Amino acid sequence: MKTEGVSVFFDSEVSSPEAVRLAAAVMGGRMGVEVSKAAGGLSVRVYGPGASAGTFANEALNQQCRIDLARVNSRIASIITTKALLSAAGEKPARRGRK
Amino acid sequence: MKARKEAGRPAKAAAPDFNFRRLPGGRVLLTNDSGASAVVDEAGFRAVAAGRPAGKTAAGLEAKGFVRERMDFEGYAAARASRNTFLNSGPGLHILVTTLRCNHKCLYCQAGAAPAGGNGTDMSRKVARKSVDFALNSTNPGLTIEFQGGEPLLNWATLSDAVVYARRRAKAAGRDLRLALVSNFSLMTEQKARFLLENEVSICTSLDGPADLHDRNRVFAGGDAHALTVRWLKYFSERADRQGPGYRVFKPSALLTVTRASLGRARDIIDEYARLGLGDIFVRPLTPIGYARKLWPEIGYSAADFAKFYRACLDRILELNASGTQLRERHAMIMLQKIAGADPGYLDMRCPCGAAIGQLAYDYNGDLYTCDEGRMVGWEGDKMFRLGSVLKDDYRSVMLAPVSRACAAASNLEAQPRCARCAYKPYCGVCPVCNYESQGSLWGDMAASDRCALSMGMFDALFGLLQKPAKAKILNGWIGQ
Repeated sequence: MKTEGVSVFFDSEVSSPEAVRLAAAVMGGRMGVEVSKAAGGLSVRVYGPGASAGTFANEALNQQCRIDLARVNSRIASIITTKALLSAAGEKPARRGRK
Repeated sequence: MKARKEAGRPAKAAAPDFNFRRLPGGRVLLTNDSGASAVVDEAGFRAVAAGRPAGKTAAGLEAKGFVRERMDFEGYAAARASRNTFLNSGPGLHILVTTLRCNHKCLYCQAGAAPAGGNGTDMSRKVARKSVDFALNSTNPGLTIEFQGGEPLLNWATLSDAVVYARRRAKAAGRDLRLALVSNFSLMTEQKARFLLENEVSICTSLDGPADLHDRNRVFAGGDAHALTVRWLKYFSERADRQGPGYRVFKPSALLTVTRASLGRARDIIDEYARLGLGDIFVRPLTPIGYARKLWPEIGYSAADFAKFYRACLDRILELNASGTQLRERHAMIMLQKIAGADPGYLDMRCPCGAAIGQLAYDYNGDLYTCDEGRMVGWEGDKMFRLGSVLKDDYRSVMLAPVSRACAAASNLEAQPRCARCAYKPYCGVCPVCNYESQGSLWGDMAASDRCALSMGMFDALFGLLQKPAKAKILNGWIGQ
């Protein structure tokens, strides 16, 4: 049975499809989420108990910020995470670019 | 295109890499990745942002790495490396849950306790020994094995065997090992206490304040919870004061868990700790996991309420210190140590967080979890944070398990949109388990996170106090500065 819910449009100029789909994955446990293509972006319908278009839009913004930040910070973030994991496992990270 | 230059002056310098936060009163806190901090007025802030600090503060800002054109890169890198030495080693904290059984019914318990008379939730000696062996695989040169529960004294046979076994194995392997016990003391006896002292097991308990508040939070049908706690705190404190031949006796420590009932009682709580001669108090907010999550409408509170309470606690502690009573707040000490450039080894506030790579939780049946909070989520039926088992899996595969990697990536502040530009980044950390439980993903959304707001409130309180010379002197004295 289809419940009505609320629809919200995400302009692809502002929110990438990746960010909207990540938000759908996070919010899927808390509310019904349907993502569909629409002219110039994606349309998201949230429905069921706990459904909130505002909460969904906040999460989409959070995911977009993460994606944008990764473009700038992914190298240093990756160095830190790799170093921590390999040290814990007892291995040394391979040095790149050295002969 | 040719860069434009101002007549007679060097080209405008690029802004250095720093984060900032406006403090109450109009001053601005600056921090950078070396962990350095400075507080400047609005004009000073604009000058730093423009790359042109001036006046008497300029030299200090330059020395701290806030002036891009006069950076001591080697010093900056050394400071950053020094404060992140934990990145070079593996888990140092190993939490053995020797039983899930407990004889208390605390309002906020996140440990997922089973009834004291229950079956099938005790750790066997075999699993305990396997857990100790597993812990000794860690690449961390200093290890702490912490016995927790439930109430660990309910499984004394396994606990005492594991203590002796761990001491023997560590000695044979030449490892630096600390042992710790977290207990409510209700089953402590003279004989058990002597055994713990002789094996250099440090003792930690919960003390939620005066009797009425403690007993309200920590419900114990078998007796007077507060009186028992106080009795054994005094016992271990006296032994620590006396010391003795042959072994070190550690001062016992106590933890305060703040519920809604605590909020108006800051002075009473602090005075209770002072009355008992305890050197430290650890003011800990509730974590909305497990039982506490279900009871949140009755015992929970907002981040703003906690910040107000925390500030009231610090004010009272500083008042007592000023009049000669020695009492320190542990969260403040951790933050002060971090601000001073040291690594206090606190796993909740580091980047990445301590999940798996800084600590491991060993469940009663040998299951391994990223941390005790992750174990609690597992006890509720969601095995998201389960890493494997000491009975089947090897150390390396656990460290590099998908959930270990996911937690390390999710708690990396460089990849968290709000944290990456937060002034408190060099001193703070995020918790993937809290994010998962409260916001539905390991990454969470810090702009809407209560845990983030709580941390901000504590940092704001501390940096506010550090602006007052008399209070700053006391606070810095806590860490020997």
